[in-house]
Amino acid sequence: MVNLLLNENMKIYRRMRTWILVGLMAAFVILGNFVMWHENKSAQGDGWRTELMQEKERWTEQLKKSNLDEGLRTYYTERIPVIDYHLEHNIRSPQGTMWNGINESASLGILITLLTIIIAGDIIAAEFSTGTIKLLLIRPSSRIKILLSKYLAMLLFSMVLLLTLFVISFLLNGILFGFKYMDLPLLHFTGGQVVEQNMILHLWKTYLLNGISTVMYITIAFMISSAFRSSAMAIGFSIGIVFAGNILLEALQRYEWSKYLLFANTDLTQYMEGRPFHDGMTLSFSIGVLAVYFLLFNLVSWLMFTRRDVAG
Amino acid sequence: MSSEPIISLQNVTKRVGRKTIIDDLTFDVPQGEIFGFLGPNGAGKTTTIRMIVGLMSITKGQILIKGKNIKTDFEQAIRHVGAIVENPEMYKYLSGYHNLVHYARMVPGVTKERIDEVVSLVKLENRIHEKVRKYSLGMRQRLGVAQALLHRPSLLILDEPTNGLDPEGIRELRDYLRFLTRTEGITVVVSSHLLSEMELMCDRVAIIQRGKLIDLKPVQYFTHGSDTFQTYQFEVQMPEQAIAIIRRIEGIQELSISEDGLLEVTTEREQVPAILELLVQNQIRVYGVQKVRRSLEDQFLELTGGGQIG
Repeated sequence: MVNLLLNENMKIYRRMRTWILVGLMAAFVILGNFVMWHENKSAQGDGWRTELMQEKERWTEQLKKSNLDEGLRTYYTERIPVIDYHLEHNIRSPQGTMWNGINESASLGILITLLTIIIAGDIIAAEFSTGTIKLLLIRPSSRIKILLSKYLAMLLFSMVLLLTLFVISFLLNGILFGFKYMDLPLLHFTGGQVVEQNMILHLWKTYLLNGISTVMYITIAFMISSAFRSSAMAIGFSIGIVFAGNILLEALQRYEWSKYLLFANTDLTQYMEGRPFHDGMTLSFSIGVLAVYFLLFNLVSWLMFTRRDVAG
Repeated sequence: MSSEPIISLQNVTKRVGRKTIIDDLTFDVPQGEIFGFLGPNGAGKTTTIRMIVGLMSITKGQILIKGKNIKTDFEQAIRHVGAIVENPEMYKYLSGYHNLVHYARMVPGVTKERIDEVVSLVKLENRIHEKVRKYSLGMRQRLGVAQALLHRPSLLILDEPTNGLDPEGIRELRDYLRFLTRTEGITVVVSSHLLSEMELMCDRVAIIQRGKLIDLKPVQYFTHGSDTFQTYQFEVQMPEQAIAIIRRIEGIQELSISEDGLLEVTTEREQVPAILELLVQNQIRVYGVQKVRRSLEDQFLELTGGGQIG
């Protein structure tokens, strides 16, 4: 089994294509961080106080409007005590420190998803479309072991990407903003009061929750890959489903049953921010729904891969 | 054990939907034999080979490799098999060497030394670290042979191995297979639609058409006819009269006049002097007699009725 995993890794990393994709991702992350750094210049040093006070004024002004959107109203009313807490306790806002950039980089996780989908969509289908599957399956390893090794290789690959993303954004933002304010807490409004949270812990929570959605996307791409047996179709379909799924979700939000849809549950960070897709959805509900989909997709992959004849 | 066949097919049948692709195939191949699997395109050669190596499921019957069932005991059965299933398709973005490392990792006990040994056996030492993308077809074929031999299989399966090889490459492969059967006692099952190839390569040949086994004999039987009956050509003065005369003799199987006016008689060896005697007695001049060595191709066309696609 270890050997099979080594094989799959060899096929991923000893290939130019993989490194071009990783390079592309790194370039995006670097570019994105530079832009954010540029926009954040005014908040550096002691500028954060003025920035926060200005922000507070803006929100207070907005709150006076009567036709304000309900979501925005909650956001503003929760944001103002956080700003006050910053000013009163002389805790600097993450704005203008490396933490802001690193936090924002987590949103580039979509790039990781995209990249993993491309590789995962290809990992089974390519063996079929190039014909190498014939030599792969006539070895003393059952098909289920080969399937599992490919799946594990994909999970590993996404973890490598996640780590790369984190390391790049940490170093780059550190260099741009200076490695200062290492123990800066993150302020968060929960249960009617402002609490201090550990920044790194919060960061990793975001990264890992993003990771869970990546795992789901891998599983979908994997299933499609073993169903279609053609790389182009598998990659195209997987990416299509991810984007179409999210667009469709918006349209279906008014229906109660839409909370059972996969894409309503993949983004678990919705619970960290306290704004679930539907009221009444909880973290454990989403995890339950995801687990059902996860098992279903893997069952389909397994059936498709192990039961069908290799013809043509 | 020489008594136990290396591979045994027992009533193997393959159906897809309502169509029967392989119909009740049964044969054994003993150790050290080069066994040819011959048939027109679409006869079911590739399907049979894919069932042997477990790429396709078997609808009915069973396939045993060294006594292990390929369906229920896949890992134990396939361990003894090395195969090239159609063109050897390798990972083009890896080097030849990494391709071999890839397959070596999948079977326990293949050392680095063994990889080097196989590489030198197929004479790829100089190019093995280049990417397969840069290989010529002949080199890919050789890499294909290398991956099939890595784990010292007892059974080597080749599906249309000569496809795309030049005559030199074909001869090399043939000599190589002979070498392997003699030195390592490897058993070879090879499929082809090229009759002349099979004639030179194989010990025994099975002919299949439309999924059915229609004949299975040592290759000499196909080329020389059976032991008792053989065909002789007589160059005679008046073939029509000669036919009328020879017809009186008992034990003649076939009698005809060939396109170039030769009399063709299929009979037992002992009848030849009698035929000659009779012709001379009847004042028909005989200029020559010779034994016809039929090519596998003739036999094949005869057996398959012109070799339409089944």
